[in-house]
Amino acid sequence: MSGAGSISNRPPAAQAGLTDPATTNAATTNPATPTFSAEQLAEVRRLQALYPDARGALLPVLYIAQDTFGWISLEVEEYVAGLFGLSPAHVHEVVTFYTLYFRDRPGRHVISVCHNLSCHLAGAPSIIAHLKRRLGVEVGETTEDGRVTLLSVECLCACEAAPMMQVDDRYEMNLTSAKIDRLLDGLA
Amino acid sequence: MPKLTVDGKEVEVPGGTNLIEAARKAGVEVPHYCYHPGLSIAGQCRLCMVDLEKAPRPTIACNTTATEGMVVLTETDRVRETRKSIMEFHLINHPLDCPVCDQAGECWLQIYYMKHGLYDPRMTDEKVHKPKAVPLGPHVMLDAERCILCSRCVRFCDEITATGELGIFERGDHSEIGLFPGRALDNPYSGNVVDICPVGALTDRDFRFQVRVWYLDSAKSVCPGCARGCNIDVHVNRRRPHHAEGRRVARLKPRFNEAVNRWWLCDAGRYGFTFVDDQDRLLVPTRREGETVSDATWDDAIVALAATFRRSPPDEIGIIASPKMANEDLFALRRLLDNLALRRVAFRVPPRVAGDQDNFLIRADKNPNSLGAELVGLGGDSRAVLEAARARRLRCLVIFGHDLLASEWPEAEVREALGAVETVIFVGSNAHATSAAAHWVLPAAAWVERDGTYTNFEGRVQRFRPAVEPLGQALAEWEIVGRLLAALGVDSTATRPEHWFRQLVAAVPAFAGLSYQALGDGGRLLPGAVRA
Repeated sequence: MSGAGSISNRPPAAQAGLTDPATTNAATTNPATPTFSAEQLAEVRRLQALYPDARGALLPVLYIAQDTFGWISLEVEEYVAGLFGLSPAHVHEVVTFYTLYFRDRPGRHVISVCHNLSCHLAGAPSIIAHLKRRLGVEVGETTEDGRVTLLSVECLCACEAAPMMQVDDRYEMNLTSAKIDRLLDGLA
Repeated sequence: MPKLTVDGKEVEVPGGTNLIEAARKAGVEVPHYCYHPGLSIAGQCRLCMVDLEKAPRPTIACNTTATEGMVVLTETDRVRETRKSIMEFHLINHPLDCPVCDQAGECWLQIYYMKHGLYDPRMTDEKVHKPKAVPLGPHVMLDAERCILCSRCVRFCDEITATGELGIFERGDHSEIGLFPGRALDNPYSGNVVDICPVGALTDRDFRFQVRVWYLDSAKSVCPGCARGCNIDVHVNRRRPHHAEGRRVARLKPRFNEAVNRWWLCDAGRYGFTFVDDQDRLLVPTRREGETVSDATWDDAIVALAATFRRSPPDEIGIIASPKMANEDLFALRRLLDNLALRRVAFRVPPRVAGDQDNFLIRADKNPNSLGAELVGLGGDSRAVLEAARARRLRCLVIFGHDLLASEWPEAEVREALGAVETVIFVGSNAHATSAAAHWVLPAAAWVERDGTYTNFEGRVQRFRPAVEPLGQALAEWEIVGRLLAALGVDSTATRPEHWFRQLVAAVPAFAGLSYQALGDGGRLLPGAVRA
């Protein structure tokens, strides 16, 4: 389980060892009664034991939930709250505080363009404009076919390769319009 | 016990005391928003900054423990500047809607701005707007724009009720207090978040827009809602009666008592005062003959009652006293019983629905003075009195307050009992089915209209004081009984409840040594009482 906590705005994708085949279909449907597999529950317990206060494991467990169910719905928040003996309001606090949890169903792929200083100077505004034109969406929206969600984000620590963006869990660097077109064509 | 100095005043405090409390002990108020002595430390508002000698920068007083030899300075230039800056931060997005804000007049943003702010605002940007007038539950209204995110309400729901309804959602200047979507702030103590909210973010749905707080008068009292006897302040509107359509009691607020309720009050008690100004209040003595009800004067009523008492053998007089009566009323009644040798006396009437109880404040016994009634010697369960009435063995029955027809007893049996008595006398504050069945109805003052004491379930005797005049011709029960005693030729010099209390103390050993002076504002445990 290589650091669920390090995953950023990942799309709903099966991650080795975490997604129960039986619930894979649920990955995009975010069931009204979300449930982790026995394996996942064991992982939750392992993570909780790592911290003096079990709620320290809330962030990684929310990532597991996001990977499993696709996004963090209110039902998922309540389910996770139950795993920690927390009030759902406190899980909601965490989910709304951080930007890397999806509170709505994202597209199959998530593109996060850096708009911070280095990328901005290196042309991020035109990169974002190009993506908006190609995808036909505004920042924060998902294409109608559910293929791509477009986000603009703060620095992703790759200033040496500005302008850059993150596509799912890959960094794409030194962006040009042509490179973006090629990348978009490769996204199913 | 570390000794420290606060602004030059030396003070000794218990180990572990924080600097806000230590300063308070030295007579110095350190301004603060998020700190509350009944909740955990959040260190969130940053307003309680003080200077410590030899410390490089100001520090928050709430989260600093007093230590031996500490030198605390709360009024240095640096502290004043810091407070001013923090006030400016707190007010950056504040809507400044004081003219339409119910908190105005008791708002700590207003108070502290005048005391510690008084800066020229530098904010030129558009303010962040947030939801206004959002009902959070049956009793609490949220205005998220006015909130300074002190988190007192969140901590209250986490630490005191352990219900966790509230949270702070989003972040930065978009942070706002709220509920998990679809939930409500409906725990039995929800009204307390309004008390501890230092600003106008959480207001009381019942009280809001009734009357401006600067028109309120206040009296120290005790909640009559259950056997706990939470200490309260009764806030009444006597100066702007036209603002509230005759409603005089504006709100009840908990009054700190370490031994009883600390800072808190349950919602049932907080909102349980509506009977005081209700339309069904009894205002004048009335007499019913058949279906005809006519007003009477107190003199006529007392003379008629005395006559009834005189011509009835003691065995044919039944008295159902009430555990809602004050100790003074009960003792006056006891004097009557002793003089007439009445023995058919009781005070308990089982409620139709058993009272709820929790392990915090709420007690199942919804009467404020059951223990007092027991100690004064007014018997127990009233069933035997009712049965005597049903068996036509009573000529006269006096009922204090109880609605017997709404009790656990079968309604038909109660009706039969009431119908079998020649003279039924009801003494109480509000009309109901039982008062309607009485031949004489005597209006009694509500607890906020008079002086007296209750004995709570632990044996703590506590005083309540009048906040408003009795409605109509209502009189306190001790006075009604006193007039009856006088009419029966019993010498009674008691003209104030305190006189009755003195007689009670002299006559009932359980109350030995107590006096109004000794009770003070916080009450006293009966000498023999052992705290539960």
